[in-house]
Amino acid sequence: MASLKDIRGRIASVKNIRKITRAMEMISAARLRRAEQRIEHLRPYADALRRMTSRAAQAAENIPNLPILQEREQVSTVGILLVTGDRGLAGPFNSQIIRAGNRRATELRPDGAEVLWYASGRRGISSLQFRQLELGDSWAGFTDRPSFADARAIADGLTSAYVDGKVDRVEIFYNGYISAVNQEVRHETLLPLQQADVLGDDDDGDEDEDDPHSRALWIYEPDPEEILARLVPDYVEISIYRALLESTASEHGARMSAMRSASDNAGDMIDDLTLEANRQRQAEITQEIMEVVAGAEGLR
Amino acid sequence: MARNSFPVEVLTPEGKVFEDEVEMVSTRTTTGSIGVLANHAPLMAILEPTELRLYKSDSDVVRFAQGEGYLQVVDNSALVLVEEAIAPDDIDRSAFEARLKEAREAVERAEEGSEERARAQREVKRYEAFLEVTSG
Repeated sequence: MASLKDIRGRIASVKNIRKITRAMEMISAARLRRAEQRIEHLRPYADALRRMTSRAAQAAENIPNLPILQEREQVSTVGILLVTGDRGLAGPFNSQIIRAGNRRATELRPDGAEVLWYASGRRGISSLQFRQLELGDSWAGFTDRPSFADARAIADGLTSAYVDGKVDRVEIFYNGYISAVNQEVRHETLLPLQQADVLGDDDDGDEDEDDPHSRALWIYEPDPEEILARLVPDYVEISIYRALLESTASEHGARMSAMRSASDNAGDMIDDLTLEANRQRQAEITQEIMEVVAGAEGLR
Repeated sequence: MARNSFPVEVLTPEGKVFEDEVEMVSTRTTTGSIGVLANHAPLMAILEPTELRLYKSDSDVVRFAQGEGYLQVVDNSALVLVEEAIAPDDIDRSAFEARLKEAREAVERAEEGSEERARAQREVKRYEAFLEVTSG
């Protein structure tokens, strides 16, 4: 049985751990707020881009024949992008993405499709390397605060791989942000883009104030077709950027919950240990009294 | 002489960087430099990386280094959508020089006529434009 001194030592170390987990919880809470704001900041840009796309699509005589809009009949290689964090200690945040990716790879195998892995975040990279899986490309070092340039780098890499024929489809796995305590694994097909998603008119009608007469007066520089050819690939960048932002928010949320329960557990442990220490202390006192009494008894 | 002013909004994926009344917007599209004054005809254009200048008046000019993007003018108001808009003072020259070097190497590495090469070339153009803004 542990001595009183051992127990007091353990109490002290658990208290220290609780200080750290509390601090990490607070830091994650602050970062979570910032990550949420960044998701909000993206919305006006994404909405404006969508409106511009549907306007250009209406003006264009035909939809340009872009490779990223074309579904391939023969899918021999599927690129899977895992969006993880650079650091752990965030509950199931990283492991559930890796698990979902592996499950998908097992599903694809019977169809004869090879998987080429892509990873964002050090956790995903090291897990894939550990399993000795083929890594197409990887990106890390920004998951605390992803910038649009980071998303563009990923989009450039994946789109090039798709257009140049290295992969025939690109799927993405990331933690979708629902709330601070609730995140879900999302699985989306990134490439080819669904024409309906990109060019579908938004039916909210807030841009319909211009009548067809004025539409003819628009100046397009260059042609609407060429503008569309540039706008459409931007969807890939925006989708990846949104996934990165949601993943960051989820990571902070997951870490916050994980650290909160770690702090709670530390508290419980301290209570148990304190009880145990008190019991031991009492036992020791009782023991000493017994010894004194027995000694006095012996002297009589 | 004071010109008429009109509202301009500059949006990036990382948030709104500018919203105010200006007399002129000066930037560059794929076909060349453009200056937009009040009451311009409806316009939609692709923007190239360059210096974006927003003239609040002749002497008061707000500058940004802009990445690729789009310009839309409608109902006497302009909307500038760019992937990046960085104030010249915030540009880290050495970081962009490093990225420019990397992008040039990527162009060398990539196969002739591949998408990879085309994207790396766009990157080179972008960082060249950013560096030009700080030296100017």
